[in-house]
Amino acid sequence: MRAFFVFTKKELVEQLRTYKSLILLSVFFLFGMMSPLLAKLLPEILSGMELQGMKIEIPEPTVLDAYGQFFKNLTQMGLLATLLVFGGILSNEMSKGTLINILAKGLPRYTVLLSKFTAAVLLWSASYGLAAGVNYGYTEYLFENTAVHNLGFSLFCLWLFGCFIIAVILLSSTILSGNFGGLILSAGAIVVMLILNIFPGLEKYNPITLASKNVALLLGTATSADLTWNVVITCLLTLGSLLLSAILFHRKRI
Amino acid sequence: MSIIEIDQVNKSFGEVSVIKDLSLRVEEHAVYGFLGKNGAGKTTTMKMLLGFLKPDSGEIKICGEKVIYGNARTNRYIGYLPDVPEFYGYMTPKEYLGLCGEITGLKKEVLQRRTVEMLQLVGLEGNNRRIRGFSRGMKQRLGIAQALLNEPKLLICDEPTSALDPVGRKEILDILSIAKGKTTVVFSTHILSDVERICDSVGILDQGRLALQGKVADIKNSYRKDVIEVDLSSGYPIDRIMKLLKEKPYISEITSNDLRLHIQLSGQEKAASQVLRFLSEEEVPLLRYEIMEPSIENVFLEVVQ
Repeated sequence: MRAFFVFTKKELVEQLRTYKSLILLSVFFLFGMMSPLLAKLLPEILSGMELQGMKIEIPEPTVLDAYGQFFKNLTQMGLLATLLVFGGILSNEMSKGTLINILAKGLPRYTVLLSKFTAAVLLWSASYGLAAGVNYGYTEYLFENTAVHNLGFSLFCLWLFGCFIIAVILLSSTILSGNFGGLILSAGAIVVMLILNIFPGLEKYNPITLASKNVALLLGTATSADLTWNVVITCLLTLGSLLLSAILFHRKRI
Repeated sequence: MSIIEIDQVNKSFGEVSVIKDLSLRVEEHAVYGFLGKNGAGKTTTMKMLLGFLKPDSGEIKICGEKVIYGNARTNRYIGYLPDVPEFYGYMTPKEYLGLCGEITGLKKEVLQRRTVEMLQLVGLEGNNRRIRGFSRGMKQRLGIAQALLNEPKLLICDEPTSALDPVGRKEILDILSIAKGKTTVVFSTHILSDVERICDSVGILDQGRLALQGKVADIKNSYRKDVIEVDLSSGYPIDRIMKLLKEKPYISEITSNDLRLHIQLSGQEKAASQVLRFLSEEEVPLLRYEIMEPSIENVFLEVVQ
């Protein structure tokens, strides 16, 4: 337990000093800030432009446009930023050899994984929380009628999906060696999940639905009950990935 | 007591057999030089000692405890210095030693004291720069500091001097000389002069087998060839003395090179002193008289051929 706290602390210091926290927090802050602002200003920007006499008429933006922007930004650029920031947390240490000294001191390998997962989830949660908070505040400020359905649950779904992706990165890093092992395989996993979602029957169980139904939840066209399976399965897959990566990491030649 | 016991260990990577039926013992308080050409299996053996690699067969014990692959509890006895140690570049040496000490559960006061002691030992005290900017020699020294932090019973160094300049090498050897009073040291190398400087016993690994092992003094003794070299001052008729010496029963062969005589003794008792006595009776003007010691280098080259 002590070793777990010590190594998690090291991970957090690493995030801070290698500017991982700064990058992720500021990127997410920007998304939180930009999304409602863009939704509000886009019609005005476009109407101000004279496109060879053509006038573009856009209906008055609503709070749903703001949240639509928010989730679109986070599930695309936000996810990419998360992948890039966390993609090397294990792969880099493995290929550089910085773990050798530490493991030679008798630190259990599963502790390394658990610490890395914990620290990454902490940073992800902080960044995501910041984005959601700023977005919420700004939306409240800019829009009048701000009532939406299932806001908390919708936000939770994307948060859970982020945690799942972090577990997938760790698993990928224990499967593939090399600097970008974790990154490539995780990106591959996301692509596979996207493809699987083409089949309507699978949508109910696919973790990626947690990152695609967010606006539908707000609209009320999807309910939390519709995503119960997705939540349960994502939780199980997260735990499973951690467990499997612990087993694989234990066998890994260093 | 044996600190390291390796019994009939085999290891291969795919088709390539790297370690073949290796058995060896390292006694407590020894400074054990682990010699071998590049690719002889030194690093593989060390990684097996640390539980980083799994032997295909055989058993390894550290301080009487079996080494278990992947979760080597025996590592608490070991300080390890990898051949090119890598650190977290964003930390200072003090912070890094703090991390190492906390992971192993050193008490706060002990850790603080040991950190200061270790940084002094390796000459990095007062260095508050981040490790990122360190030279190779500094990293190697910090590597020794982290390895010795817990006062381990066994210090394993993988080619600690191979990548360093002469000054860096001397520094590392000096630190190891200090460390050897408190701990057993095993280090692999192919720099033979380092071995002669600080090792008291050696094992020579050749193609995955232990070709030779023992105390340095014993090995030198058993490889002593009973050869004497004599330098004469110039102007002396060297042919005359060669002729006389050739007839002696205690000399089996004699060659000359300019004013230097190379005398192979026949192995009789006191042959060496008889040569000396004869030379002084004949009033041969000597510049130098030396009973040749075999160097570890000669032994090594002979063994790994």
